[in-house]
Order: sequence, then structure tokens, then C-alpha cells
Amino acid sequence: MSGICKTRLMEERKQWRKDHPYGFYARPSRRDDGTLDMMKWQAGIPGKANTPWDKGVYKLVLLFPDEYPTKPPKCQFTPPLFHPNVYPSGTVCLSIINVDEDWKPGITIKQILLGIQDLLDNPNPNSPAQAEAYHLFKKSPEVYLKRVRQQANENIPA
Amino acid sequence: MPVTDSTAFHNNDNDQLDGMDMSATGSDYDDDFLMSDPYDPEEYDGVEDDGFYDEIGGQGLFTAEGTKGLEERRPLYQVEYETHSESELVQLQKEEAAKVSGVFGIPMSHATMMLRSMKWNKERFFERFTENPEKVQLEAGIVTLEEAAQRRVTPEVKQYFADRRVRAVESNVQYPDWEELSPEAQTQRNLVEFIPDALCEICFSGDPSVPTYALPCRHRYCIDCYREYLTHKIWDEGLSARIQCPEFQCPIIVGEPVVEMLVSSADFSRYRNLLLRSYVSENDTMRWCPAPGCEYIIECHTPQSALLSTVPTVRCRCGHAFCFGCGLDDHQPCLCILARKWLKKCSDESETSTWISVNTQECPKCQAVIEKNGGCNHMTCRKCQHEFCWVCLGPWSQHGRAWYNCNRYDENASKQARSAQEKSREALTRYLHYQTRYANHERSADLDRDMYRKTERKMELMQQASSLSWIEVQFLRDAADTLIQCRMTLKWTYAFAFYLARNNMTELFEDNQRDLEMATEQLSEFLESPINPDTISTLRQQVLDKTAYVASRRKVVLEDTARGFAEDRWDFNVSLTE
Repeated sequence: MSGICKTRLMEERKQWRKDHPYGFYARPSRRDDGTLDMMKWQAGIPGKANTPWDKGVYKLVLLFPDEYPTKPPKCQFTPPLFHPNVYPSGTVCLSIINVDEDWKPGITIKQILLGIQDLLDNPNPNSPAQAEAYHLFKKSPEVYLKRVRQQANENIPA
Repeated sequence: MPVTDSTAFHNNDNDQLDGMDMSATGSDYDDDFLMSDPYDPEEYDGVEDDGFYDEIGGQGLFTAEGTKGLEERRPLYQVEYETHSESELVQLQKEEAAKVSGVFGIPMSHATMMLRSMKWNKERFFERFTENPEKVQLEAGIVTLEEAAQRRVTPEVKQYFADRRVRAVESNVQYPDWEELSPEAQTQRNLVEFIPDALCEICFSGDPSVPTYALPCRHRYCIDCYREYLTHKIWDEGLSARIQCPEFQCPIIVGEPVVEMLVSSADFSRYRNLLLRSYVSENDTMRWCPAPGCEYIIECHTPQSALLSTVPTVRCRCGHAFCFGCGLDDHQPCLCILARKWLKKCSDESETSTWISVNTQECPKCQAVIEKNGGCNHMTCRKCQHEFCWVCLGPWSQHGRAWYNCNRYDENASKQARSAQEKSREALTRYLHYQTRYANHERSADLDRDMYRKTERKMELMQQASSLSWIEVQFLRDAADTLIQCRMTLKWTYAFAFYLARNNMTELFEDNQRDLEMATEQLSEFLESPINPDTISTLRQQVLDKTAYVASRRKVVLEDTARGFAEDRWDFNVSLTE
């Protein structure tokens, strides 16, 4: 399916521009010479209202492999996020973007981003990816919430 | 490993048998249960195990006391099982599906898919299907063929598939001709459509020259993307029965006819293979023969829960004898859990403990294990600073000025120290007792095999040089097979005995073990005796008698342990858990 990677991404972009969920953004990044890099997208996910994540918009990079959409993009928060299911590198650990788990070629960028937004306030304690957030989440929920709120404040878009 | 070689012997056997119906071997059995069984004797190729002894026993040459009465029924230690080849398994699935299809009046392909989704558990299927047929059908990914059957394939679609086939030939990919497809797959083709302006949700290309397909969930993709998706699942992920619709969170299964219609011949044949593999691996009553390169499947209905009182040993058609419970090589009469514990203990400890026993002593005061690192016998324990003599273990203070030798062996203090050490070493000694014998039988089996190979060549030469017939020189093969089998059994009796708590039963067990061991060693000796044409007939008679006797002793040991489990009279010194 590698041949269709570019076409599909172009089309995803078109659809995103037509319609996308409120507060989100997603676009191909620009190279140093100003040209578009379709294989690397910049995106932002807003925290859901009425959760400690609210107000913050969390930046991430989507890296698409040549085999996309047979294989999922790698989704990485920049800078790395304080969250039990985000690796210290910033990479998100979520079943729907794991090729060995629930990834399917029919999953769109919109669904990925909505899936990650959902994960923010619903961490999966069965697959911890960083020790700090995981331990606080399990052992001292209050400290955890405080850290999350603090992080939300730091990520309010200008 | 020992078993590979015995496999080789049996392979020869099977080469000759292959042409015949397996039931032909059944006629050699004198086990009544086989003959009186209402089922096809072929189903019982499982018990061919002891077939060759029976031939001998049947001539009335020898009947051991212990085996009286055993002939009338299946031995307790022998579980029932069947060996299947892959094609027989496919046939078996068909029969199962046909039964279900007949009962509910549903198409075969539907029955197959629904059974597959229930892991071929018919009881569960009957229950769930009578309760809620729609749900079961949906979960199994059944496309209601009615809709497809009412439609007709358009000439354009027909043309597209024909073109695809031609195009693919150039790139060395082969697609089946429509006529070669199963009727179900052909019907599925009716659902392939050209839809103008339809956007494939995978490639987003909306290319009007490629037709599309949708499962009943209506998630529509172009057939190129579908094929690509299926190929990835089949080859990269090794999936078959659980391939779902490519849509996000859609649980509908892509069924066999759909896969058949969309993918190339090579992809589909791999898919079929994976289906079969998942059939075996998901089925608790099936196991692949673990012998390298063997493709037979064993079906045995001994449940995992019975493993604390049975050792379900099976012999594959390829000759490999193994435990159905754990997949290890035949380890009768030792329970799976004990065999595992034993092997672990051996790999953890055998080298170490032998070394400890040879090279170290324990400090008479604090029991720290000490290795002598210099020539002097005056030892000072690093841990408790106790000074003692390496030779007599008595305190050094009594040795006066005799620095380099010890002549005080019988002093009380040193006697006590030695007996304390003996006690603490008892566990180790006990383990080594069993381990040595276990390892010895393993090694002897290898040596027996070598010996047999040499003898076999000699026999061949002799057969050519004398008037002896082929069958007359064959007795050594049976003897060697029996011998090696008995050594394997003996080997495991030692592991079993190691874990037995000591009581009257243990002694009975050891008596049986001893009888088998003695007989086995005698037979082994016969195989080593020189062979010449003048004495061969006497030797043959002796070997035949001894082989039958040894085999019967083995049966006695196995039967007694099996009965012991049935009567719950074995006590173990470890708990039967991991």
C-alpha cells in the first residue's frame, strides 16, 4: 500500500480542512527550505472540558511510515507529556495506533487524535509507559492531579 | 536426544505401512479392547505403541505374572488418542460443519465460520445459536448470502477480475480462475461493485476504475486496498480466523469466502494453512507432534485438569512418543509437573551439586561451604574463624604441631563433626543418588543405540552370507526398541521416586523398578553378545523371551503407578504446583 501513502495523506489533509473537531489542529510540517513534508505532521490536542486537562493544548508530531496506512503513524508529544501512557520520549502508547494491536488502515487522523484526547483523562493503568506519572497516578492521586493541572496551565496557547 | 533415533526405526516401519491401511497393523494386536471396539480400528492407531511385544506375547513364548489380565482391556497408563494428518483434519472439520449444517439447515460455509468463532466447541455453539442466532452470525462475520445470491455480477466487475488475473501473471502473482473458486466465494463476487464517487476510506483515492466491496457493516473499500490489507494480516501478522473489517472498531470478521475471492492463490493457501494452525492451537484436545519436521496432529481428550493423576503419553504416526499434557518427550510414569520440576532442578543443580560434593566441605561449626584453596589441612573458616582439620573435620586445637597431616581420624570431636556434615549433606546425596541413575539410563540408551547400529550392520552381512531370512534377523530391532523404551521409563522412575514421600508404597514401587532395571540390563547384555550364524537361533530365542519379559515388566511398573494415581496412594514430598 506504500504507493498510496502520499495520496491518502493529501486526501486526509483535504478532509481535515473541510471539517475537524473543535480546538484541534493538524497540518503537514514545513521543511527548512519551506516545502511541505507530508510524512510529518504537527498537531495539537485540547484537553476535554471539565477535566484537569482543560485549557491546555498539547502539541504532538505524527510521523507517517512509508507503509501508511498499512502501518500506523508514530505519535509523539513534543515536549514529552506527563501522562502514565506516554513514554519518556513522548511517544504515545495506545492500542489503536499499535500495529500489533488494534491498528486498522481505516483509522483516520481525526480518529487517532480523538482517541489520544480520550486517553488524556482516561489513562490505561495496564500499560504504563513512564514511571513518574504512573506511580503518582496509582499512589497519590492528589499530587497527580496537581501536576496535570500545572501542566495544563503551562500549555495554554498564546 | 534418544527419541529421534527411535523415530528413525519407526519411520522404516511406517514406510512399509504407508501403502496399507493403518488398520492393517491393528490385526496384529491381541489386545481385546481393540478388536471389540465398535469404532474403526484406524482411530486407534494410538495404541500401536506396544504392538510389537504383543506379537511376541501372542505366540505364548512368555507370559509374565504381572501382565495376566492386562490383555483384556486398555492398560490404565494408556490414554486414548488419535493421530491426524493435516488433510484428515480438514476432513474432520468438514464433518463437524456438516453435522451442524444438517441440524440447523444452514449452509456449510456458515456452519464452518460459526464453529470457528466458537473455537469448534459444538456444545457452546448449539447453546448460543439456539439462544440468539443473529448475534452468533454477526460475530462470526457471516454475510447473509441472500442479498448476494439475489444479485448478479456485472459484466464490468467480471471483466475487472479477468484483467487482474492477466495483469498479475506479468508480476508472477497468480489469482485463481473464477471457476476454481468455491461457490460461496463466487457468490461474494456479486457484492463487488463499481460505485461512482465512492471514496475508499483506506487510499482515499476514489479511483473509479477500481471496484469496491463492503461487508454487511457497509464499510466500503476498494478491492485493491482490501487485498493489501488482507495480505498484510495474513503474511505479516499471521492472522486468519480473526481478521476484522478494516474500519475503526468494527468487529465484523472477514470470512473465508471473502478472503478467497480477494487475495491471490498463494495468499489464500497460506490463509488456509493458518486457519488449520489456529484450529489446532485453539483446540485443547489437539496438539502438533513436536518432532522436528513432523506435521501430524494428535487428538487426545485427557483434560489439563487430569494431569495430576495421569501421564497422557501418545505416540505419533512418525514414531515420536511424547506427553500430550506438556509436549515433553515421553516421561511416563512421572507426572508432568514432577517432570518439569525435575528437569529444572537438574539444569539448575546437577553440575553445581556434583562439584560441591566433590570439592567442598562444610565448616563443622557454622556449616558455611568451604573450598580448599591451598595445600595445608589447617582450615580457618572465613565466616566464623573456626579452625579445623580438612581431613578429619575435628578442631585444629587437638592437632598439636602436626601441621601437614592428620592421624587423629577416630577422635570423638572429629567423628561428631563428620556426622553433622553427613546429615546436612543427606539431601544432596539423595538427589545425587537419583540424578546419577537418571543420567545413567539416558547415557545407556545412547550406548544401546550405538551398539544396535553396529549389530544391525553385522546382521545384514550375515543375512547375505547365510540362509537366514529377513524376518529372522529382525528380532534385534524389536529388542533395541524395547530396550530403549524401557530405559526411558526407568530414567523417569528415578525422577518420580525422588519426589515420592517414603512409605510402604514407595517400597513396592522400588521393587517393580528394580525388576524392570534388572531385566533391562540383562536384555542390554544380550544385545552385546557376539553373533555368529551357528548360535543365532539360540540367541534369537533368548532375546525374544527377554524382550517380552522386559516389556511386561515395563507394563507392570506403568500399570502400578497409574493404578496408584487412580487409588490416590502416592504421597509426594513436594506440592504439585508450579
